[in-house]
Formats: sequence, C-alpha cells, structure tokens
Amino acid sequence: MATDSLPIAGTFQMAGRAEAHPAVARINDNGSVQIIAANDQRPLHYSNAQDMRYGDIIPGLPAELIFADGARFIPNDASYRWPGLSTAQRLPAWLEAHWLTVLAAVILVPGFVWLMVYKVIPSAAGASVQYLPEFVATELGEQTLDLLDRLYMEPTQVSRAQQEKITDEWHSILQRLTLPQEKYRLYFRASSIGANALALPDGSVILTDDIVELMQDHPEQLNAVLLHEIGHVEHKHSLKMLAQATATTMMFAMMFGDIDGAGEMILGVGSSLLQSAFSRDMEREADAFAYTQLHKIGHSPLDFANAMRALMTSHGVSEEHLHNHSNEGDEQNDGERARDVMEYLSSHPDTLERIQAAEEWQPEAQ
Amino acid sequence: MNPSVSPANSNAGETRTLPVIFSGKKGEYLKIWLVNMLLSILTLGIYSAWAKVRNTQYLYGHTQIEGHRLQFLATPLQILRGRIMAVIVFGLYVIISSLHPIANLVLMLLLLVALPWLLIQGLRFTLRMTAYRNVRFSFDANYGGVLLHFIVLPALGALTFGLAMPWVIQRLQKYIHDSVSFGGHNFTLNSSAGYYYKAILVCIGLAILYFIGLGIFGSGVITAISAGNPAALGGMVIIIASYFIFGYVVAAVYQSMIRNHVMNNLSIDGVASFNSSVEVKPYIWLMLSNSLLLIFTLGLAYPVTQIRKNAFLAEATLVNLQPAADHLVNTVDDKYSAFGEEAAGLFDADLSLT
Repeated sequence: MATDSLPIAGTFQMAGRAEAHPAVARINDNGSVQIIAANDQRPLHYSNAQDMRYGDIIPGLPAELIFADGARFIPNDASYRWPGLSTAQRLPAWLEAHWLTVLAAVILVPGFVWLMVYKVIPSAAGASVQYLPEFVATELGEQTLDLLDRLYMEPTQVSRAQQEKITDEWHSILQRLTLPQEKYRLYFRASSIGANALALPDGSVILTDDIVELMQDHPEQLNAVLLHEIGHVEHKHSLKMLAQATATTMMFAMMFGDIDGAGEMILGVGSSLLQSAFSRDMEREADAFAYTQLHKIGHSPLDFANAMRALMTSHGVSEEHLHNHSNEGDEQNDGERARDVMEYLSSHPDTLERIQAAEEWQPEAQ
Repeated sequence: MNPSVSPANSNAGETRTLPVIFSGKKGEYLKIWLVNMLLSILTLGIYSAWAKVRNTQYLYGHTQIEGHRLQFLATPLQILRGRIMAVIVFGLYVIISSLHPIANLVLMLLLLVALPWLLIQGLRFTLRMTAYRNVRFSFDANYGGVLLHFIVLPALGALTFGLAMPWVIQRLQKYIHDSVSFGGHNFTLNSSAGYYYKAILVCIGLAILYFIGLGIFGSGVITAISAGNPAALGGMVIIIASYFIFGYVVAAVYQSMIRNHVMNNLSIDGVASFNSSVEVKPYIWLMLSNSLLLIFTLGLAYPVTQIRKNAFLAEATLVNLQPAADHLVNTVDDKYSAFGEEAAGLFDADLSLT
C-alpha cells in the first residue's frame, strides 16, 4: 500500500468513550485512512473513504475526521484541511473569514431589520387585515368591551334624554357620510380614566361621562372626537397593530433567538419604542380622517382643534401653557425640548402639534 | 496550538488540576456571527439552524480542558425541525391569545402547565448535545421535581415576603445541578442556603449604602433645581447614570459570589470537581462594559460580549480531573428532539419582548 502523503499528527478519540491517544493519520492513494498510535506505531483504526466524513469547518478549529462508529481523528494543526474536503464544505468558513462578506453583512443586516420593521411588516399587516373575516373584529370588540366593563367602567350617570340627543345627532352625521349606523354604536360609561372616547375594532365607541359633560355645550366638538375614533376603525388600526406586533416579535425571536439577559431587555425597549412610533402615525391618520369627514359635512377641522384644547384642559394642562405655545417664534425652551424627547416615548403625538395641524389643514392638501 | 494529549493509561491514580482554556477571538467570532446572520436572513430564517450549530461549535470548540475540546453534536436539521415546530406553536399561541382575551387566560394556564416540561426538554437537549471526549452530558429531572422547585417553592417563598427566597433559590439551583450527569456519573452540588443569605445580605447592604448616598446627593440636586441652578441638570445625569451602574454592581456582586460558591461545591461523582475564583471588580467591569457595547452597537456587538464573557469565566475556572475521567463510557444516544429547547427559547424571548 503506497502512502505518498505526509502523516498528519493529531489525537485519536475513541467512539463512545473518553479514551484518547496521540496518533498520526495516513491517507492512502485510494482515499482510505489509517490511524497509527504515535508512541508505539500500533494500528488504531482503518477506514475506507466512504465510511468516514469530515466535521464542520469552523475558523480557528481543527477539521475533524469522523468515522462511521463515531470515533474521531482531530489534527493538532488547527489550520490543516483534508484534501478530500469539497468546496461546498469549505464554503461557510470561507465566507465567514472574508471581510467582504462581513462588510456586506454589516450593511445588509441592519438594512434588512429596518426594511422589515418599517416597510415590509407594516404594509403586509395593512394588506392582510383587509382579508381578516369580520367576525374577528366583532369577537375582539365584544370581548374587549366585556373586559373593560369588568375592570375600568361603571354604569353611566348620563341622562337618557342626553344619551338620545347625542346618539341622534351622531346617526344623522353617519347618514350624511354614508357610514353604517349599526356598526358605529355608541356606549356611555362612567370611568376613572377621565374625559375620553375609545373605539373598539368592531366599531363600538365608548364615551366616558366626563367627556359628555365636558362637551355638553359643544356637540360639534364631541362629533369631531367621535369621527377621529371611528377613523381608527375605518383604517383597521387595532388589527393592524396586532398583526404588526406579532410579526415583529416573531422576527426578532428568530433573529436573536439565543440572546439572553441585557440583550433581550434592549430589544424589548426597542420594540416598544417602535410600537409607539406606529401608534403615533395611526393617531395622525385618524386625525386626518376626522378633518376630511368634518369638511364633508360642512364643519371645520377647528372643531377638532377646540375639542383637543378642551380635553387638554380637562386633563390638567393649564390655559397659560396653551397660550404660551401659540406665540410662535419664541425660542425653544427647555420644556419644549423635553417634549421632543417625550414624543419618542409616547403613543400619541404632542397635542399642541395636533391642534396646530387641525388649524392649518386645507382640503386641497388631501 | 493543541497541547499533546497524554495516553489514557499513563499517570494513573492521580487527580490533575487543569485550567479551562478559551481561545475564541472577538474579531473572528464577530465575522462568523455576522455572516451567519446574513445567510439566515437571505434564506428567510432557514439557515438560522446552521448558524446556531456553527456559532455554538465555535464557542464550544474553543473551550479546552487538557487539550480536549468541548463538542456540540446537534445537527442543523435536528434544530431546524424543532425550530419550525416551535415557531408554529408559538405563532398560534400569540395569535389566539391576542384575538381572544378569555382564551388568553386558558392558554396562559396551559403554558404554566407546560413550562416545567419545556424547561426539562430544553436543558436535556442542550446537555445531551454537549460532549467532552466523545462522552455526552445528560439531564434527568422529572416533571414533579421541576414543578416543585420552579413553581411551588417560589410561590411559597413569596408568601414569606421573600424571607425564604434565598433558600428557595438554593434548592432550585441544587435540584438543577443534581439532575445533570456525565457518562453515567451524577453531578452533586453541596451548596449551603446560608451562603445564599450571605450574598443577599451583602447586596442589601450595598443597596442601603447606595440609597443613603443618593439621598444626600439627591437633596443637593433638588436644592439646585429649586434655585434654578443649571448644575442641577448635571446632577440629574449623575443620578441616572449611578442608578444604571448600581444595578450592574449589585448583579455582579451577587452573581460572582453565587457562581464561586456553586462551582466550588460542585462535583461529578468520582470524576471531577471544580474551582471558581471570579473576582468582583473585574466582573462588574465585564458586565457593565458588555451592556454598554450592546447598547451603543444596537445589539450587533453581541458576539463580542459572548467571547469576552466566556474568556473571563474560563480564566476563573479550574477543573480537578480524577483518573476515572479517562475511562468513561458514553451512556446517551443522539436521538433527541430539539422542539422543547427551541420552544423554551421562543417563549422566553416572547416574555421579554412584550
């Protein structure tokens, strides 16, 4: 048997047992391999070419020869590569060692995350919620209302007459806008959350007693708020958010599946910041819906601006603060700078900014 | 690079004390990790199974004791199968639980019931795929034991206003370590609950000192704020930064104390014992600098932090091998599903992401 090639020094690790011996491997012409003990030249193993395979080639690690029974020969020289290794087996390690592919990864990996998070997932979520059957929204709406009633809501104190007055006016607006009356039902509830209105995915709109009281002399403001709320429903915002959050979570879990501790915390903070960013965009979209609809029925987006002012005051922002802000041209003070920072953390855009947007809205712009 | 391996039949009868040598390089592993991430993305996640195997093989293969490298024996297809099943189950869980607030409660209960099982499956897979000198590790906890140590005892511990918690954590870690075996030899952890109380008391002491300091400094800052002094802003920054650092200091003190205690009292019956000498100050710096690295690179420095941590811990660890270590026989086969391991990872990831 001719053995032309140089013997390779290494360790012979026996199959299924801890016993290991310093050894050399000789590759024969026909591709078979012979393992010989280093100290006493005793033959330890012989294998045909087809009864062995190569371990994965990992940068900095020796390429192992693995025999059919699980025994291994591990070369001492970590850079030694067996002549029998195919290009395909060498490819991953080759890619991992080249700065060009690494550079591509440095650019493409963050690029991919950005593309998925800001473009692909939102538009896929937007497209797919259109095909969700109606019962999903109905079910979600009913269960949420049920849950809210148990946790945050009390029976309303608003008089039946006033409830009817508000509902009638709301129905006449829906009629003029050719929106379905039976979908956008109003629910009156007392709640500790203060003056507020919220729309559920199925179109139910909840009005708190505080907002009814706050706007009892300004029904046009209440209607502006209601139009904003059903803007969320028309755009299927809550379903979209749900689909988006699920897909984003899944993607991060797949990408960084084995990150632990601090890494997870950082990703968690990142993804909740992202969600608030999308939520702010949705508020703006619902605002724009309200402006357009108000304009259609001959009202002005100013109704919405006034409603926002009233809500802000009722939630404890002073008139003075509102007034100060309208003097544009003032140098930006610390408070405003703090608000810029806060905007990244908040689920709603800055209220003053929304008031300004409503005041400046032009129908041509749409 | 590879020290020569001594024949099995020499130096019989003597216990050898050996360093753990970690030879992974930051730049090299960063490249591997990045390229694998790119390939995973380009293949829509399919390559991630190969990526996981290669990354783990790198970290394991660069960990040596007496010239023998740790082995990671899972195959990519095994991981891919487990990962696909786990993603399907996890996806269904997320969709159903968010569409159905009430079904959500039922699912959470089911998850609680499945949690001990997932934990066992996960650790069992990881350990069975880990080998040293062709002998695999194994993990043989049972459902009742995990339920007792992970759910019942912590719940009872909470009833004592946390007073029993150090004891609960000691029992839990002892149970987990005692369930590991290597080549048919059981691990034994002779830890003491008293030491866990000591570690907690040290942390509480540190917290008291910190909050006294914070109180003194904070009142100064408040005075500066009310006086309209611009230095107050700097004071606020110092307070926030000190709070961040304080968190790492306490975590590092606790973890280093417990790690040393656990390793120093851990043995593999008749095969090996360990020594650990993690020093607090360098460990604080390691954890703090690693988290800063992660924050400022948006997570991309993750592989670098892994190498730094592995190198640090290997440096602080010694293994005392007894002669029996040279004659161990593998007792574990390689057929095992990766589903539990992958599912455990995903559900854990979910808990921290939302």
